[in-house]
Amino acid sequence: MFFGFMRRRKKKGSRTEAKERLENMLSTRRRVVPISNFIDEKHFRNSVSEMENVVRELAAKYFNVAKHNVRVECEEHNGYVVIITNITFD
Amino acid sequence: MEKVFVVTSGKGGVGKTTLVANLGCALAKMGDKVCLIDADVGLKNLDVVLGLENRIIYTIIDVVNNRVKPEEALVKHKILKNLHLLPASQIATKEMISPEDMKRIIHQLYPNFDYIIIDSPAGIERGFRNAIAAAEQAIVITTPELPSISDADRVIGLLENAGFEAQSVKLVINRIKPKMVKRGEMLTKEDIAEALAVNIVGLIPDTDEMVVATNRGMPVVLNGNQNVSVIFENIAKRLKGQPVPIEADTIVTGGSFLDMIRKLFKGSRG
Repeated sequence: MFFGFMRRRKKKGSRTEAKERLENMLSTRRRVVPISNFIDEKHFRNSVSEMENVVRELAAKYFNVAKHNVRVECEEHNGYVVIITNITFD
Repeated sequence: MEKVFVVTSGKGGVGKTTLVANLGCALAKMGDKVCLIDADVGLKNLDVVLGLENRIIYTIIDVVNNRVKPEEALVKHKILKNLHLLPASQIATKEMISPEDMKRIIHQLYPNFDYIIIDSPAGIERGFRNAIAAAEQAIVITTPELPSISDADRVIGLLENAGFEAQSVKLVINRIKPKMVKRGEMLTKEDIAEALAVNIVGLIPDTDEMVVATNRGMPVVLNGNQNVSVIFENIAKRLKGQPVPIEADTIVTGGSFLDMIRKLFKGSRG
């Protein structure tokens, strides 16, 4: 039993383990996904302002506010699209 | 020379706000006119760390909605009169500000200050986009743990994608534990710098002093006796382009034999 204890392998330090895991984790993390992977980019850019107008009109109608109180922004976030609408009530 | 910095991380709770507050104080102590912008709308904290929470009248939302000019919303620091804060609102959301709004606000403040430092919210969504919109340099802060480093890497990727050059992105490692590094139980600064491929501008140790400073609303830089305040001053000097070797932080981080004796007596007094 004593000799078995002596033979026991030295445990790997957690730094070494963390370093190995970090290398694996970071190998793909910075990959950027363009919107053109999913839809035609030109079509997307052209449609944005038209779509913003439609959303603005709808929000103004349903919230009963003036159109200038509705701010609509369309953003591309690494492969997905976010439409942000802010409505200000006087 | 760039003068608009954003402090960002991806992961929350790694020390962004503390770094912004101390960096602002360090630069102001050196005589520079500094403006800190809290871009963490909805979860603001910078005013609390600076001890200015009771002095806020207008917030960045008032500026965005054209109720006041940016200069009118600024809060002057109690001690450092050349340090100003543009506070965030707690009852608003990050979506109420756009990157264009931030560009406009910073454009208006730009001529009046030597440095503008933006405190970015955690995450990589709208708040992050707002915070980086007008920044000329980015300081990414991480702790030596995997989730934080992994998020920092993601943020560095997004910064590059947003047009930041490699030399415009700097790294600060927070909450380093020298004893653990020595024992081989924590990633070293070299490991982290190699993984993230960015230059380190600061190494901040894990100390009790930071907690005490936040409790008092007085950043450690304003207490000249604190060892860790030297590190923030070193970071400020590096951002100003002064050649301060990173090893200067390691010396402070390690602590001298005299410091150990001092701490021992401090502890026994209780």
